Formats: sequence, structure tokens, C-alpha cells
Amino acid sequence: MAETRPPATIAGGGPGQRGCTGRLIGPLLAAPVTLWLLLAFAAPLVVVVLLSLHAAPDPFGALFQSPSLAQFAMLAEDRFYLKLVGETLALAAGVTLLTVLLGYPLALWLTRLPLRWRSLGFAVILIPLLTNVVVRSLGIVLLLAPDGLINQVLVALGLQPWRGMLYTHGAVAIALAQVFMPFMVLALYDVLQGTSPRVHEAAQSLGASPMTRLLVVDLPLSLPGLRAGIIIVFLMASTAYVSATLLGGKKVLTVGMIVWQEALQNLNGPLASALSLVLTGTSTAFAVAIFFVARQLMPWKESRPGSVLSLPRWLMVTLDLVGPVLGKLLLACALLLLLLPLVLVCIQSFNDVPQATVAGFRAFTLEWYRRVLFGGAYGAAFVTSFQLACASAVVAIALALPAAFALARHRFRGLTALGAFWTLPLSLPHIAIGVGMLRLLQVYTALPPFFGLMAVHVVLILPFAIALLQTSVEQLDKAQEEAAASLGAGPASRLALITLPGLAPGLAAACIMSFLLSFGEVTVTSFLTTARLTTLPVRIYSEAAFSLEPTVHAVSALLIVATMLALAALNRLVQLDRLYAR
Amino acid sequence: MTLNRRTFGKLVLGAGVIAPYAFSRTALAQPKPGDELVVGIWGGAQERIVKEHVEKALVAKYGCKVSYVLGGTPERRARAYAERGRPSFDVLYLNIFESRQAVKDGVTQAPTAAVPQFANLHEAAKLGGYGVALNPCTIVYDKRKAAKPITSWKDIWNPEWKGRIAWPSYPGAQGTAGLLMAAKIFGGSESNIGVGFDKIKELKPFAAIQGSQDQLFQMFDQGVADLSVEFGSFTRKYAETRNPNIEIVNPVEGQAITMNVACITVGTQNQKLAEEWINLHLSEPCMLAYAAETYYSPTVKGLNIPDALKSKLVLGDDVGKLVDFDWDLVIKSQAAWSSRFNREIAG
Repeated sequence: MAETRPPATIAGGGPGQRGCTGRLIGPLLAAPVTLWLLLAFAAPLVVVVLLSLHAAPDPFGALFQSPSLAQFAMLAEDRFYLKLVGETLALAAGVTLLTVLLGYPLALWLTRLPLRWRSLGFAVILIPLLTNVVVRSLGIVLLLAPDGLINQVLVALGLQPWRGMLYTHGAVAIALAQVFMPFMVLALYDVLQGTSPRVHEAAQSLGASPMTRLLVVDLPLSLPGLRAGIIIVFLMASTAYVSATLLGGKKVLTVGMIVWQEALQNLNGPLASALSLVLTGTSTAFAVAIFFVARQLMPWKESRPGSVLSLPRWLMVTLDLVGPVLGKLLLACALLLLLLPLVLVCIQSFNDVPQATVAGFRAFTLEWYRRVLFGGAYGAAFVTSFQLACASAVVAIALALPAAFALARHRFRGLTALGAFWTLPLSLPHIAIGVGMLRLLQVYTALPPFFGLMAVHVVLILPFAIALLQTSVEQLDKAQEEAAASLGAGPASRLALITLPGLAPGLAAACIMSFLLSFGEVTVTSFLTTARLTTLPVRIYSEAAFSLEPTVHAVSALLIVATMLALAALNRLVQLDRLYAR
Repeated sequence: MTLNRRTFGKLVLGAGVIAPYAFSRTALAQPKPGDELVVGIWGGAQERIVKEHVEKALVAKYGCKVSYVLGGTPERRARAYAERGRPSFDVLYLNIFESRQAVKDGVTQAPTAAVPQFANLHEAAKLGGYGVALNPCTIVYDKRKAAKPITSWKDIWNPEWKGRIAWPSYPGAQGTAGLLMAAKIFGGSESNIGVGFDKIKELKPFAAIQGSQDQLFQMFDQGVADLSVEFGSFTRKYAETRNPNIEIVNPVEGQAITMNVACITVGTQNQKLAEEWINLHLSEPCMLAYAAETYYSPTVKGLNIPDALKSKLVLGDDVGKLVDFDWDLVIKSQAAWSSRFNREIAG
């Protein structure tokens, strides 16, 4: 009997779940997020599906036409598109691997930072999300250029410089790994710092070296976070196109770039939609595969017996020798990648040059700050973006938290499929969502502009918020709740006094991430922006189309300072460390 | 109710009398204080110049309000197409080929003499909207890397540039110019574009494919590439302020025409204001501000250009020497050409 029951229910089933109301808890928790996505996301998704079934492009044609598989047939027959999808997925896999290699040591470093330094550590992790793609890619260019930082080091070491590093898949992978690293680190942070020190002491008392402990204790226990991080990064990397354009110099083609080109430059909605759906299908299949592989690797989650992991002695000795050095090297690389844009922003925001992409420092000026702070237009756009990001983050968290509880504790038949639907906004190229929204512009413009934009931002944030919060909920110590219940605490007081404080670090991470995702969103927003509602990234992007001025660096610098202050304040209000919070 | 022939005739006659009024009603409606004109334009220097030289004068005259939808051309164009006939923009700025297609597609209006400055426009600026800035594309290169100065488009094919070229991405104004010129100088044309593709393929391997002027300047700065096809205007600004080694060529075959075009949407509720806006954009102060700040050449004839600027702009007879193309064919072929470009040149 136990074997036919959904496994997670056994692991996560709490008191009062077995009755009729108990069975309804899961669907009730899953309902709000599903409803929101059905209202705000299903419509553009249906448009994308309908467009992909058009036989030929016609920007003014009716949306409902007799369905044709012509676009898909063309994609299947054309080796160019097959290669394109293959290369894009391979690039995404490479980026994911790189992000894991760099993000894991970084997450470990963050959990070991003294608590008073931790908010600063968080700020460092978040730098890529606080800086504009232009300054980030400038950093990578300066790193990989023929006379760049790496080649200068090679020459200093008496080695041959490598002049062909820029405009390659490797350059794009580094750029994407840099910007997606925060997602991996935040997904890992909560699970890593949630591991009790007693587990470490137990491993140590049994003779495990730090390296052994990392491999056989920390790594398996962090699998839920790793799984969330890998899925998020892989899906994001598979749809990326801006960094790929800036650092691939069109020598690297991705599906996202071709979707953008077909949808906007060639006004070929059907081809762009079909290509987007093919990418979404293949990358979602990968995400589902990761999900199941991770489940197999975590037998204890389902009370299944696990196999004993034993490594040969020679390997352990080698790892003990190499591991710490390698770990420090990877951490140094990760920190360098994160801090590079910060250094550049600090220099560039005071640099008296005409364009944002100038590398050398010419002369000191405060002009860019003056324009941002007193130019008028930036201030208004900043306020719009700030309000939008706050509202979107609050709504997204309110919807994602119940969904995370459903996924972690109250599973029901069909939830896996529903969970895949919740992830769709992440795997569908944003440009395709934009194209879908364009067809619905009449419906959309009937809404108050702020609410309309917020509805879309919430859709884009939800997959991240759900993934991060699911991991946090899974990490909650149920024994504490049961202890509270046995002492007479009702559901409300258990939620307020035990569950929410326990979730504080995860909630804080999800809030910050949601805020920054909304604050930086430009792809879909640039289709929906109106004369009265221009966000800061759209304003910056509109300049990039012509020539970007260093005001963009001043904006980034102010944003970094504001985030540091906000994190310091947050650190006082909420303990960013789960063990202290408990 | 039935209609006899006489009643029907009266109705037809009545409709015939009223129709021209209905047709021209929006054009005749006078702006009221508080009316809002929505303009879709690029940000940065462009937004600053029109705010200073167009908005101020328009608001002073009519007491209206001007709002901007900022963004890149592709998003603006996609939005205008989605809103055909019920636009949220009154005026939007497009590139030369997009603007002509937009008129054909019924998204924007063909230009008329209702804008007084229309009469003073160069002929090339009277198609597909009101040309507001000539911004031709040409060869730009690092003169330190050249054995002898470049004077012809054919010089790009000198072996010394092998592996040093950042070819411009297609579609896009620069990539279109590069492709069309490659075809034209080697005996091809818009209708025989294969010549262009074959010649560009001969240039491979490229140092990179550049997607924007900012990206190209970065490539020049970092010594990644030494030659490309780019807007001469802003590259001159770059050469003057950042990199004096960059040369902007005036090839014997001519530079390829490219133009920014202001378009009035079909269905605008602010026809008069939109026409006034464009007329102010075509006024001497605004043209000169663009010329001074971005080296965009005026589309209006007979302006008093300061001597210091003259050598940096395309003026007078030189405008007639710009190489023009069959833009209808170019836009019709864009999907096929971009597909071919992705397969044969990029990647």
C-alpha cells in the first residue's frame, strides 16, 4: 500500500492531512498561482501556439486560421535550425556546468562568512544583477581582449598570449555564467547553511577530511538547491540573446537571437513562435530529466534505502591534496568575475567620455550623476521601476509561497504537470511572450498600465520564486512544528512563530531576487511600455539602440549602493542565517 | 423601410458631399491646450535634441503636452504594426526601408505638403515619411593598419584586411548597406544579390560580426578588428573624441544612403500637432543641433551651415551622389536574405 502512495506524501504528510480537507490542501495551495498564470500567461502562450500553426507570416492576418504544421515541418527538415537548437542547448549546458563550478565554492564561502559581513557578501553575489549588460560585457571584453587582463598575465608568466578568446562560445559562456551565478548561489545558500553543524561534527568524528565531508555529506544534502539552481540556470541560458549578441559577435548564434530577428526584424511571428516552442519543449524535457535524476540521487527524501558511497583511498588522498587549492582557485575566479563589473562601474561612472563602452579613464566628471539625479527623466523612470518591482515581488511571493508548500509537502495527482506549467514562463523565450502580448494589446491596454505590467512581471518572476521557496520549505525542520503542535500551538501561531521565521532566509533571498528580476526586466516590458509608464531599463535600452552614455554606469553605481544599504537594513531585521533564526 | 431610387440617389449625393469632410476632419481639427502628442523615438542624444528644439516650441505655440515612448526601432515598429489603425503613437521614427514599407502596409501616412518644410526636402527624403536626418553608411577603418588609404569599396577585398574585418550584421541599416554595396560594385544588384553574398563570403574569416556602432567602437578600442561598414556620422564623433586613428572613407562609388524618417501614424487623433512637430524637427535650429551633436546631415535644402561643420556633413550635390536602392525589393527580400546571411556569413 505504502508503495502505491505518492512518495512525497509519506515524507511530507503532516497531521490532519489524511481527511477530506487534508486532500484539498494541496490543490488549494496550488490554485492561486495557477489562476494567475492562466489569466496573465496562458493567453499570450495560446497566441504563440496559434501563431506557430500559421502556414505563412502575415502581420495583419487573423489569429485563428486553419492550423498548419508548415513551420514545424520546415524546422525539422532544415539542418540549420536543428544545429541551432543543438548548439543553443549545448551552450546552456556549458553555462550551467560553469555556474555550478564557480557558484558552489561561492555559496560555501557565503555560508562561512561571519554574520555581520554576510549582507556585504550578498551584495557582492548580486552585483551582476545590479549592473547593466553593457558594463558586464565590457568587463568580459577587457578580460578576454587580445591585450586584455588574461593575456597580460600569460605574457607576464612567459606564456604565449591567446588572441582569439573574444567572440567565441567560451566568451558567451563566461558572460552568461557571470550573470546567472547569483541564481545558483542563492539556490544553494539556503540548503548549505541549513545543514546542522552536528552533521559536520559527526562526519569529522568518523574521520572524514574536509574534502570527504564536502563530497559525501554537503554535496548530497545540497542536491535540492543544486537541482533548483541547475534548472533555473539552464532554462535562462537556453533563451539568452543579449549577452550572446554582445560577446558572440554573431559568430555565436542562439535560438533567442534568431527568434528576436524573425519576430521583430522580419515580422515573421509564425517562425519565431514555432522556434520558441521547439526550444521550450526540448529545454523543459531537460528540466524534467534533471528533476527525476535528482530524485533518484536523494533516496532519503522518499525513505528509500540509499547505496553506500565509498571512494577509493588513492582518490581521497588526491582530492584532499588538490581539492582545497582547486576550491580556492574557483572561488577566486568567481569573485573576480563578480567584482569586475563593480570596479568598472566605479571607474566608468566618473569617466568623462562620450560613450559608455569606452575602456580607458580620461578625466573625472560628476556629469553622469548629475544627469541621473537631477535630469528629471531618470528619476521618474526609477520611481516607476521601484514601485513596479516592489508590487511585483510582493504579489509573486504571496503566490509562490503556497505553491512551494504544495510542491514540498502537499503533493497530489497532477502536481508534477502543474509544476512544469509554472516553470513555462522561464523556458519560453521572453521575446515570444512579448510577441504574444502584442497580439493581445487591445485587451492589455484596457487594463490600468501599472497593473498590466505588474501582472506580466509577476508571471516572469514566479518560476524563480517557486523554485527558491520550494527548496526552503523542504529544508524546514518538521520536528519543530510538531513540537509546537504538541504544546498546543494552533496552525496560525505555528505559521507565525515557527514556519515563517524558519523560512526567513529563503524568503529574503526570494524577495531580493524577485525585486531585482522585475527591476531589470526589459525584453517584455519594452513592448508594453507606454508614454506614461517608462521603466528605468527601458529608458536605458532606448539609449543603447543609439549610443549608450555613461549615465548607465551612474545608475548601476547608485543601485549597488542602494542594495548594500537595503541588505544591511534587512540583515538587522531578518537573520540571513537559518541556524541563528531557529 | 424601403429605398426608392430617388432617396438612394439623395443619400449617395449627401454621402459624397460629406465624405471629403469626414476624410479631412482630423487634418482640420485644431489642437487644443492639453492635447497630448505621443512620439516614439530613440533615447539619449536624440531625445534631448527634440525636447529642446521641437517640444519647447510646440508646447509654447499650442499649450499641448508631449510624451515619449522610448525604445529601439524594431520594438517600435512591431508595436505600430500591432496597433495599425488605432495607434498609441502619433509620430514615430523609423529607418529608410522600414518607413517606406510602413506606408505601403497602411501603418503610417505618406508625406504631404501639409508640413510646410516638405517643400524644402531633398527628393530622397520625401518618400515613406519625412526624412529628418541623412546618415549614410561607408567604410571605416584604422589607418595605421592600411598599406595605402582606402578609396573604393573594392579595397575591402585587399588581402591585407583578411581576418581584420568586423562585418556588419544583417538585417540592420549597416548590414543592408554593406550587402547592397558588395553586390553593386561587383556587377550585381538588389535583384541579383547572390553576387554580394559570394563576395562577402570571400572575406571570411571575419574578426567578428558587429551588431551596433557601440560594439564596433569597442572592437576598434580593443584592437579586435580594424575595418567595418558603419554610419559615417557617429563614427566621426568617435574618431574625434576617442580614436583619432579611425578614418571615414568617402569612396569613389559613393556612400550608401541611410536615413532617419519621421512618420505620422494612420488613424492619429492629433494630425495637426503631428505635422507641426515634424515641421519643427525640420526647422533650421533642430537640423543644426543634430548636425553639431551627432554629425547627422540635414535633409532640408538651403540651410546656413557653419563652416566648421561643412566638411563633416553630406551637403548639396553630395546628397545626389549617395547610392540609393530599390527599397521595396530590399524589404521584400529581407527574410530570405537574413536567412541566407545567418547560414553563409554569420555563425
